[in-house]
Amino acid sequence: MSILELFKTVYASLSRHIIRALLATLGIVLGIAAVVAMLAISEGGKRGIIDQIKAQGINNIILKSVKPETLADPKMDKRRIFTYGITQKDYNHISTTFNHIEQIVPIQEFDAGVYSGQNRTDIFVLSTERALFDVINCTLADSRSKPFPGKNNGIFLPSCYLGIDAARKLFGHRDPLNQEIGIGRYSFRVIGLLKGDGQGRIGGAHSINNVIYVPIAMAEAIWGKSSSVPYNYLYIRVKEVEHVPELVARLKSYLSTSHVNVDYELQVPYELMRAAEKTQRIFTLVMTSIAAISLLVGGIGIMNIMLANIFERTREIGIRRALGATRRDILLQFLAESIVLTFFGGALGIGVGILTAYGAEALAKWNGDLTIQAIITPESLLVSLAVSVITGLTFGTYPAWKAARLDPLIALRHE
Amino acid sequence: MIELLKLSKQYHAGGVTIDALRSTSLVIPQGAFLTVMGPSGSGKSTLLNLFGLLVHPTTGAYKLNGKEVSSLSDDETSHVRNQTIGMVFQSFNLLSHLTCLENVCLPMQYARDRHSTMKARGRALLDQLGLQGRYDSKPTQLSGGQCQRVAIARALANEPPVILADEPTGNLDEQTGLEVMQIFSDLHRAGKTIILVTHNPSYEAYATHRITIHDGNVSFKNEKFPSHPA
Repeated sequence: MSILELFKTVYASLSRHIIRALLATLGIVLGIAAVVAMLAISEGGKRGIIDQIKAQGINNIILKSVKPETLADPKMDKRRIFTYGITQKDYNHISTTFNHIEQIVPIQEFDAGVYSGQNRTDIFVLSTERALFDVINCTLADSRSKPFPGKNNGIFLPSCYLGIDAARKLFGHRDPLNQEIGIGRYSFRVIGLLKGDGQGRIGGAHSINNVIYVPIAMAEAIWGKSSSVPYNYLYIRVKEVEHVPELVARLKSYLSTSHVNVDYELQVPYELMRAAEKTQRIFTLVMTSIAAISLLVGGIGIMNIMLANIFERTREIGIRRALGATRRDILLQFLAESIVLTFFGGALGIGVGILTAYGAEALAKWNGDLTIQAIITPESLLVSLAVSVITGLTFGTYPAWKAARLDPLIALRHE
Repeated sequence: MIELLKLSKQYHAGGVTIDALRSTSLVIPQGAFLTVMGPSGSGKSTLLNLFGLLVHPTTGAYKLNGKEVSSLSDDETSHVRNQTIGMVFQSFNLLSHLTCLENVCLPMQYARDRHSTMKARGRALLDQLGLQGRYDSKPTQLSGGQCQRVAIARALANEPPVILADEPTGNLDEQTGLEVMQIFSDLHRAGKTIILVTHNPSYEAYATHRITIHDGNVSFKNEKFPSHPA
């Protein structure tokens, strides 16, 4: 029997019981829907979380000052000013004695109001060195930008760089270069524009494009070193990513002796990424198991319906055998029926899966505190279809084999 | 030509051995019209199923056009059934979910004929049996006589030299039965070998050769059978 004849035969058989065929494939539909949704959400998760971490730079180690728990003790005298966190001494020690460091950059945060004319904005200000822009992968967004002033630039005017989003907030569509902005009581001139991966975060949760950058030497000259926290952050860029764990270990052992009150926190995007990837793998494993179980159930459903089908059509098998069908013809006929069922079940499941994935995304967005991103790749759809056909093949083989083994005469006499 | 040589068939059921067909030797020449008569349970159907290669004999040989066919593989047996034998049943055995034309085309599908020639031949056969315009009807829309004519068209699909008919008029009224017998008679005249199992003694008039079976014993009713070397 030709392929065309085979599929016509399958169509003629299945179209007799459309509802039954739909019910038979329900398990496959749900199983494949689970596979598609799982692949879409896990792909989205991979791109979302992992890309966000990567945007911090997987070569980077971020050392952050935190208020130690001893200072939070209410018995402490609150009127006295305590200093805590990362100091100039730490900076010097790390930069001179540790290997594999490409850049080490201090950052200070300022809780100062930012004014554009009379309008106060809540844009975040931090002081740092030029090297930070390499560390966080920012580039100049405007070729007219002047160099970011360093320690040895001598006499200078107060000046700053703007991230492109901060510039847009302050100046809208006007050209921000050489404009003045107010930071605290001082006026700063905008001398440069920066642009980086918008997913990159700095100083907590601020997008690197939505920050004002002031040279650290200038900030110290203007505001002095009166802050209780010498450096809020040290950004350390490691030359090769494989040296990150080694350097983290050395930093930990140094800090555990020099900062016994634990007034610091280490943030390692590389480790976060590893952890996120591990979580991702566990998620994928769990979802794969769920999908596998539903496909197993779906497959058993197909097997069950095919066995019932074959019992019901025993006489048809006998007639076909009497007319010259070989065992192979019968086997192929029923196997093709299973595969057609699971193929269309799979196609339907893909539709349901896509809806589920986007539905979950929309629901998470609406709910607010959970981000799910669904990304449907063509490969995932091909995999799903292949899986459904393989399910049909796996669970259709036994019933088809049983049909093919029927004795022609006994089948023909079946009532 | 069909030759049976000491062919027998036994069934075992519940520790009892039943001789469905005792050792039988006979020769049916090409183009013969053979009627097989006998009471129910006498072994008529067993004999017909042996002819149709639907059961394997317990002993003996079955030669179809000089070729031993009782010990062929399942695939080869299917091929012989497909190419050499056309079967007509009492209950028609049409597939109810297929159209008349599709039913007639079934043996050609298993012969792996080309789709277009298959359709054309199927239509020609239905025309020949007076079923013009019924190509796309389902068997349930047809009368018994029409169904049996579709079944005969199907049996003729691959132009087999031998037609086996198992009480083909058993489910039909007398007039329709006679019409169907006329078709068999025409086929016989056209050179087909016809083997007809029937309860109706009047149909023996169509036959060139007649046998009766009682308890698995075949008796020859006329002298026309060539004596077998055995």
